[in-house]
Amino acid sequence: MTVAEAAEKIEGTIVAGAAASNQEIQGGYASDLLSDVMANSREGDLWVTLQKHVNIVAVAQLNALAGIVLVNDRKPDSDTAARAEELNIPIVSTPLQAFDIAGKLYTLGIRGRRQV
Amino acid sequence: MFMVDTHVHTCLSPCAELDMHPAALVDAAVRAGLDAIAVCDHNSAENAAAVERAGRASGLAVIPGMEITSAEEVHILALLPNIEAALELQSRVYRALPGRNDENVFGMQVVANEHAEVLGFNEYLLAGATTLEVDKVVSSIHAVGGLAVASHVDREGFGIIGQLGFIPVALPLDALEVSQRTSLPIARASFAPKGEYSILCASDAHELKDVGRAATFMLLEEPTWVELRQALAGQGGRAILGGGRPMEDLALHILDIAQNSIEAGATAVDIDLLEDPGADTLVIQVGDNGPGMDPSTLSRASDPFFTTRTTRRVGMGLSLLAEAARAAGGNLAVDSMPGSGTRVRATFQYRNVDRAPVGDIETTLMVLMAGHPEINFRFRHSVSDRSFELDSRDLCVALDGMNLGAPEGLATLRAAIRQGEEKLATAT
Repeated sequence: MTVAEAAEKIEGTIVAGAAASNQEIQGGYASDLLSDVMANSREGDLWVTLQKHVNIVAVAQLNALAGIVLVNDRKPDSDTAARAEELNIPIVSTPLQAFDIAGKLYTLGIRGRRQV
Repeated sequence: MFMVDTHVHTCLSPCAELDMHPAALVDAAVRAGLDAIAVCDHNSAENAAAVERAGRASGLAVIPGMEITSAEEVHILALLPNIEAALELQSRVYRALPGRNDENVFGMQVVANEHAEVLGFNEYLLAGATTLEVDKVVSSIHAVGGLAVASHVDREGFGIIGQLGFIPVALPLDALEVSQRTSLPIARASFAPKGEYSILCASDAHELKDVGRAATFMLLEEPTWVELRQALAGQGGRAILGGGRPMEDLALHILDIAQNSIEAGATAVDIDLLEDPGADTLVIQVGDNGPGMDPSTLSRASDPFFTTRTTRRVGMGLSLLAEAARAAGGNLAVDSMPGSGTRVRATFQYRNVDRAPVGDIETTLMVLMAGHPEINFRFRHSVSDRSFELDSRDLCVALDGMNLGAPEGLATLRAAIRQGEEKLATAT
């Protein structure tokens, strides 16, 4: 499933980095501590978070994430959106909360892949 | 030289103990030997003026401050030039701080005066986050002329690195703070390997017993905010010399003993730190050429209630060192005779689990050698069969007699200490 397809399933809209929204999603990760995301997310993950600081784009770039989903109708800060455009990181904004987003994506076959 | 704890809370912070009223806080700070504190309650500065007044009565410098929670839940410390700036910043923070406190959940937020009287209760949700993003917090602090410091960067929760993964490159922070959990050498290597930021060690005390548990040593003319700003910027001959956990790190025990020697009138102080993991021993020895002590003074020297000083809790130093040595399977011996100086020797079992860490030797030597350029110090640190020696007279000669407390002197001194200590560390 691509980021654009997933966005549709979670009532989301692509608010930045639309050019890369055809990225294939390999798995999912949900966390608001960016240090944790850096340590535990994996390449191709769709990342669900409420953080909208510009650092989220750098973290997504660093771990080659498929895209970022902002929960609770949050919109990226303007420098965040600009950076996402520049680095081709798709950002989805949705009115849904993190719990429901993860639930919907899970039923569509997307899984967390952190090794335990 | 001044010892400063740039981050303490009062009873206004919902998570702090209720006995942290302004007078008690000042009292605890004086007992801990601090010269200055910065009062940094969560998202409010309402007790700062009372602490400042209580401090004035006790000769403790008080810097008004605030610990602001950004929208990303990053804690940023504001260290402010005066109460007016603190109140101006406070009104900006209050406008961006949603919610009301629930005392049963978060705790009481007591506004108190310097006479331990309750004036009222703050009703804002001080435990909450503001709607200001971290860069807006920093720019709001700068707008009122304050200094912005990232709080406890070594903590995952509410620390900027934990919350945001790394420090945003363009964020104009004036310093980073580490808590008592992280020693300065580790903090430097982890957070400012190229000297990108000044590092402050602070207690973040929420209880009276923790006030001054970690502190920063600063080379200043007087302990004021203006001078703190200069020290953070490395200007005007002011400097941050180091920091750590007084009365815990062995390096700061050494500092305390050597300072006692200086106060007693010594002009030469010899310091040995001998680590021998093979023999399972660690020895600290500090000898001076001061006036020495007669047998009756000597017998009381490690009594916790004995001090010839009236202003500081020192004298406590020797008894705490004796306790630390005994806890680690060692002991403390003090030899002294009037007219022939004093020699303090503490031994520890190197591998004893209760043996305190050495801590930051650089801090000790910077404070002593740069803070007291008139004293001759000889320092020897050995680890097994390797050793590093530093003689302040040799350094002065190498600098054509320049003062070790002057800016070039500081840089040379720091480089010499780092080089010596790094060599020792890589040898082990």
